[in-house]
Amino acid sequence: MTELIVQQQWFLWMTLLPLGAAVAAFLAPRQAHWIGLVTALLLPLCALAAIAAATLSETQTITAGNWPTPLGIALRSDGLALVMLAVTALVGFIISCYALGYFPVRGHHQSRARYFWPLWLFLWGGCNALFISGDLFNLYVTLELVTLASVALIALEGGKAALAAALRYLFISLLGSLAYLLGVGILYGTYATVDIILLGDMLAATRLNHAAMSLMIAGLVLKSALFPLHFWLPQAHTMAPAPVSAVLSALVVKCAYVILLRLWFEVFPALDTIAIGHLLGLLGSIAIIWGSLMALRQERLKLLIAYSTVAQIGYLFLVFPLAHTETMASAWIGGVLLMMAHACGKAAMFMVAGTIHHTAGSDRISRLAGAGGPIGVLVVVFTLAAGTIIGLPPSGGFFAKWLFINAALVSGQWWYLPIILSGTLLAAAYIARVLGWAFLDVKRSSYPVIPWMMKWPPLVLSIIALLFGLIAYEPVQLALSGAPVSSPVLVEFGP
Amino acid sequence: MELALIFDLILLITLIALAWLLLASSDIFRAVVLFIAFGLLLALAWVRLGAPDVALAEAAIGAGITGALLLVGLGRLGSAEHYRGTRTRLTFLQRLSAPVLIGVMIPSISLILLLELSLHASATPGQQGLVNVLLDVSGTNHGVTAVLMNFRAWDTLLEKGVLLLALISIWSLDQARPLFRQNDISPQLTGLARLLLPIMIIVAGFVLWQGDHAPGGAFQSGAILSAGILLAILVGYTLPTRRQGLSLRLLLAVGFSVFLLVAAATLLSSDYLLKYPDSLAGSLILLLELVATASIAALLAAAVVGGHPPDDLSKPVDRSSAVNGGQT
Amino acid sequence: MSPALLYTGSGIILFSIGLHALLVHRHLLRKILAANIMGSGVFMVFIAMGVHGDSGVADPVPQAMVLTGIVVSLCFTAVAIVLAVRLNKLTGCTTLAVDEESSID
Repeated sequence: MTELIVQQQWFLWMTLLPLGAAVAAFLAPRQAHWIGLVTALLLPLCALAAIAAATLSETQTITAGNWPTPLGIALRSDGLALVMLAVTALVGFIISCYALGYFPVRGHHQSRARYFWPLWLFLWGGCNALFISGDLFNLYVTLELVTLASVALIALEGGKAALAAALRYLFISLLGSLAYLLGVGILYGTYATVDIILLGDMLAATRLNHAAMSLMIAGLVLKSALFPLHFWLPQAHTMAPAPVSAVLSALVVKCAYVILLRLWFEVFPALDTIAIGHLLGLLGSIAIIWGSLMALRQERLKLLIAYSTVAQIGYLFLVFPLAHTETMASAWIGGVLLMMAHACGKAAMFMVAGTIHHTAGSDRISRLAGAGGPIGVLVVVFTLAAGTIIGLPPSGGFFAKWLFINAALVSGQWWYLPIILSGTLLAAAYIARVLGWAFLDVKRSSYPVIPWMMKWPPLVLSIIALLFGLIAYEPVQLALSGAPVSSPVLVEFGP
Repeated sequence: MELALIFDLILLITLIALAWLLLASSDIFRAVVLFIAFGLLLALAWVRLGAPDVALAEAAIGAGITGALLLVGLGRLGSAEHYRGTRTRLTFLQRLSAPVLIGVMIPSISLILLLELSLHASATPGQQGLVNVLLDVSGTNHGVTAVLMNFRAWDTLLEKGVLLLALISIWSLDQARPLFRQNDISPQLTGLARLLLPIMIIVAGFVLWQGDHAPGGAFQSGAILSAGILLAILVGYTLPTRRQGLSLRLLLAVGFSVFLLVAAATLLSSDYLLKYPDSLAGSLILLLELVATASIAALLAAAVVGGHPPDDLSKPVDRSSAVNGGQT
Repeated sequence: MSPALLYTGSGIILFSIGLHALLVHRHLLRKILAANIMGSGVFMVFIAMGVHGDSGVADPVPQAMVLTGIVVSLCFTAVAIVLAVRLNKLTGCTTLAVDEESSID
């Protein structure tokens, strides 16, 4: 039995399976939802098997075709790849269940449903391929796969605002990925390899390398929507159908960020990155405050959630200034934890928002007034999911922020402390605003029936998000296996 | 100064001037035509750089298919209708772009200087040596084909996925409409097509076969074939309705699916993704190239047509959802 | 001044021209053209930096990468054009200038 598990390269099956399912869903549109559901059921199992295989065996890197690395493409199942695969499998499974209710098999949304499944499975496969890739050019191809699928999914709604948002997103992503690709080209021209590990060993602090690094980081920052470059995100994430919004906020934004993490800690550690780190930290801090303030001002629930994503992306970028020698592991693991927590929490929030929209007929926050009955339950689910976004104690978001604050204090960068705290307060404020409307004492006349597939999956995910901190030990240990950081994780304040 | 260097200089200056002109020209149709010329000149640049494979692909895909896409798109957009009115107030980002440009130009000039230094300092031999050494066991005799279909086959597999995904995206967006009005097909064009089509098929087959030992391969061949398909559509050929369902979708997906199946089979049998057995490498690559060519030809032609087939099973449903989508 | 360096520099200039046009122009087809030119610049850097010495033969690996890149950018072009046509059919505009406030409803 153990032989069977160890011998299969489960993390590779996790990329082939959704891609194959996507083709099948395209070929058999009438069965697309079944194909999607079966795949969504199988992938978490594969993820568990991949984790089991990784803990039992030592080898973490193989190359496609078994060609030696400067030539072949390295595929890795290190800690970061495995936790991202697992989170994607969990979130993806729940989003798939939700989508089954959201896109009814019969009825007038049938054509949207038949294209949703192949696109979503393509996106899933692309994400998985991206997480395991250890090759800069392969990362470009996978990133483009994810981007193209996201563009089509945003446009699925079909209205002019959705189309405009999709097109804007397409141009922005093209810009970002071409800048990234130019950097890759320069690195290849200098070192004749695009393998992350080999480059990490060879790179010297020349000016050319700094130019390449700046291009690549700028491109990825644009794709992951850090503060001044976030302008495309709210429209793109709100115009899409609810399951798609969940996918975009929970997973797609993280793709570019995972590449950034890999670049920063594995490719460019030899380069002089302190100034860029501080710049990213500054932009991240502004993103936290600005995104939260904008969220506080929004009239519509989905826009509020989208701006909250902008703020959360700001937190993710605090990793870069905080990762000094002794705080490296704390900052890195904080970033990984926050990614996981945010993926669960934000996916649940967008799904609930979709259900509220379905029930109340609008996602205007003022229309939530007096939402007793079914919407009341939904608002409670929404609040549970938001717990991790605010950073309430047992949630993953809480531990991530705790690690950040620790790293900030140990590395003497106390000014991040008020920013993290005020971000938390602002998040609590915009969530409380939603609750304030929902609990107004107003009678409503009628409530439509909600399919149970739209009600329970978000609840499950939001409970997982809220309690994530209690089970965080295993994911953290897993993520640290094969991590590019070696210092101990600091969980207590101290020198 | 050598003659070759002067030629390079003239070519590059023309390319840059063309790029600037086409992006600045006030007539969008002219811009598209200039873009096609730009693509052809770029192919010349690839030849100068010793990359004939890229040159072929650039001429066939970069200039040819992209040009066809742009022209068809332009026709559907209604050509000159808008451009005067677009000189409205610049947005913040657009005002920002001047400093961005300066911020890019200055680093690029310094980059060129730095490159000069770095080229003198460390002339890495590239991976050409490694590719040549391993060419014998790769199952093909041409370096670029070996890299595409064997050494970096995982990239190629994913890129086939991107192609199929692009088509699914296009189908999800729109329904196919006729490229041209059916009644204005001139008999001369039909005659020309009758003459050209067999030639195109032969050329495509030749380019595919060529890819085993010289520049050429599935992409270039598929692009030529798709040009043939477009020509056929142009003279009024339409796919029979009964073929527009599953058989069309199978044709579109076969390249990617066979690649995926090969990946799964190699993973099952040898634990390494896309590690072909030594004795089978040549025939596997041939199989992959053949199905890829068929799929690429169909995909590119379908992308130019730009929409899902009209006889879809959900046609009446589809219209109502489009209306609904417009309202939400 | 070696030819490889000349081509690398031109690639970067093409990239910059495309970048500028992508940001400044509002007509959608023009943006698509600009993105294509940016891509061509990147590909030129890839190939030109792979030319080593005077052998005149480019490294096959970046050539394969550029072939992949050309196909990927073709895919984006195709989807962008269909999106633009669709948007044009709904709004009558050839730009992205959708009124932000009204579009939300």
